[in-house]
Amino acid sequence: MLYSTRSKLIAGFMAVTLLVGAASLFIGVRLVDEHVFGEALNRVSQDLNAANEMYLTRVKHVKTSLSITTLGFAFISSVRERNTVDLALRLERMSKLAELDFAGVVDPRGDVICRIGPNAFPPPGRRPANPLTQMVLEQRVSVSGTVILPKDVLVEENHELAERARILLASGPESPSNAREEVTAGMTIAAAVPIFEGSSFVGVLYGGILLNRGEAFVDTVRDTVFQGESFGGKSIGTATLFLNDVRIATNVLTPEGKRALGTRVSPRVEEHVLGKGRRWTDRAFVFSDWYITAYSPIETISGRRAGMLYVGVVEEKYADIRRQLLTVYSLLTVAVMLAASALGWVIASRISSPIHRLIQASRQVSEGNLTPDIGPTEKGEIGLLQNTFKEMVAFVGRRHADSEARIMQSQRQASVGRLAAGVAHEINNPLTGVLTYTHMLLRRSELAEDVRGDLQVIAEATERVRKIVKGLLDFSRQTKIDPEPTDINRLAASATTLIENQALMKGVAIRLNPGENLPELIVDRSQIQGVLINMVINALDATPPGGTIRVFTASGYTGQPSGRKGVEITIADTGSGIAPENLDRIFDPFFTTKAVGQGTGLGLAVSLGIVQRHGGHIRVQSEPGKGTRFFIWLPAKDAS
Amino acid sequence: MKPSVLVVDDEPIVRKSCRLVLEAAGWQVLEAGSAAGALALLTSATPRLLLVDLKMPFEDGTRLIGRLREMGIRTPAVLMSGYSTEDTARDAERLGALAFLGKPFTPDELTDTIQRVLNRIEKEEDGHGQSKDPGHR
Repeated sequence: MLYSTRSKLIAGFMAVTLLVGAASLFIGVRLVDEHVFGEALNRVSQDLNAANEMYLTRVKHVKTSLSITTLGFAFISSVRERNTVDLALRLERMSKLAELDFAGVVDPRGDVICRIGPNAFPPPGRRPANPLTQMVLEQRVSVSGTVILPKDVLVEENHELAERARILLASGPESPSNAREEVTAGMTIAAAVPIFEGSSFVGVLYGGILLNRGEAFVDTVRDTVFQGESFGGKSIGTATLFLNDVRIATNVLTPEGKRALGTRVSPRVEEHVLGKGRRWTDRAFVFSDWYITAYSPIETISGRRAGMLYVGVVEEKYADIRRQLLTVYSLLTVAVMLAASALGWVIASRISSPIHRLIQASRQVSEGNLTPDIGPTEKGEIGLLQNTFKEMVAFVGRRHADSEARIMQSQRQASVGRLAAGVAHEINNPLTGVLTYTHMLLRRSELAEDVRGDLQVIAEATERVRKIVKGLLDFSRQTKIDPEPTDINRLAASATTLIENQALMKGVAIRLNPGENLPELIVDRSQIQGVLINMVINALDATPPGGTIRVFTASGYTGQPSGRKGVEITIADTGSGIAPENLDRIFDPFFTTKAVGQGTGLGLAVSLGIVQRHGGHIRVQSEPGKGTRFFIWLPAKDAS
Repeated sequence: MKPSVLVVDDEPIVRKSCRLVLEAAGWQVLEAGSAAGALALLTSATPRLLLVDLKMPFEDGTRLIGRLREMGIRTPAVLMSGYSTEDTARDAERLGALAFLGKPFTPDELTDTIQRVLNRIEKEEDGHGQSKDPGHR
């Protein structure tokens, strides 16, 4: 029972903890998803902005380099004078400083005067039109931005560049269409600036950076934006430039650890970014890992969407945060559950240990130990239980002592009774002889007077012995009671009337205070009357002249909690009282304080026997010098 | 011949006391110390009255009276006992006796009891129209 209480408590705690743990886990995961993942998307979006900014900075850088160059007098005059040697030197220097992959000067007709690279001084004639210079020649204002240079333009410009721009398309699940086998066009960051001498237009300076296979930009983006953050030995961030949907510069690695050049973006992203010109921010599966990605379209100087810029963060990092959070939550839940179990155990112990002690105590009580140890008194209901238990044990103790005393009393009476019966039988035979011979002697007429007197003494003494033995026998006999409905007040009145004369002679008043509405008693009238007479005579014997004996009757209950209904007859005298050391012995057979020959010491013992056989009891209260009260309690008809 | 009384008691002092009182009153006294002794005696003697102790070893007074009634001997009996109470006196008749005599008793009580019993028997016998008692004392 106890263990089940304990386990119930613990189970309850566990259930609550589990519920709370599961709820917080669920909420935690949701929070991680919403906030951490949202935060990640946010961050990647910002990273893309930064990358875009860097891209534009590059564009500006190229344009600025070119613009500054076109402002130099020496350069202008070299263009005007077509000093190719000087121009070649200057272009070379500028390109190196500005890290340009191609640069050149064209005359107002569009013919190349000079350029860097192997084809520095092309012979005049039809050349593929450079879209960059074309715009400046037409509008005479500088342009800058993203320019797609077709293969022939690249070859004309520098066949090495054309070679670098060529990227084989990867075949694989991500590139379902193999229509184009390779990328040949070059994606460039380029600018072209018109050259004026005074107000006359003398030519165009152009230059740019080829982005195909250009690791510098994407790696710079990665290093700048993600600042070397790494996860699992890899940089968490990646950046990529797309020409249309093909990766032409990237630090996304293939599973083999190579840069994933020539691979394509997913059609969904392509459709969204290139088709609709919108940004894309979402999770995306890139090769072997999930990334949180952001794409933005790149437009050429002519306003055509020709590529994309991408940054992405390995989702693993956030998944890891989620995993960590989950682990922490789970551990926390388990810890709380353990704590709850421990708490449950402790609480259950605190509840059950006093109960357990009470059980032990009950066992002890049932084995007869009426002073069991139930431990310290607890607070609250347990304490209440303990106190009630104590009261119960105390009550049982009193009852036990009570009934023990009663048992001892009746045992004493029984043994005295048996003894009396045996003694009476043995004594009566020789007593018959004594009585017979004494009386026969007394019949003789020739006796001397003194002898006659002596014989009289013997006869009287024998008569006394006979009375004592008779009393013994009366005491010992367990007469059956012959009960009938009785008005106790009438019985008490007849008993007091019988003694009234005797009392008057002694100068003691007897008062009867009959109670009203007494329950009907069913008793042996003559026996109970005998008891009353005996008790009143006892009171009379103890009361000096001038005293009073009062007899009350009243409805009463036993002093026990069961509270059986009955009638209590009180006989109170103003006599000498009973010494406290004698109170316990007054009901013992042969106990008497009267002078020798005045009483047999059997009256109270016989009275008690009769009352007990009626289911009642007699109590006594006494104060030496003031008087004594006897309380005779008899059960009512319906109570027994 | 004087009418006789058979005293049955295991106590010699009781038998002796009864003999003293009853002989003084003019009875012939027979004695038996036990129920068996009484039965043996009654095969030859026919006393007018039995005075039987209630409590005796082997066979008590009531059983003795019972046996006699079975044998057809209807001699009236008085039970006596040192174990006397009002109850036993009340029960005497049920036990087959005509009277009960509590021990100890004085000579007067003994003779009075016997006189009372005899008077009663005579009355009954008169009522039944039987022959008169030969008398006593």
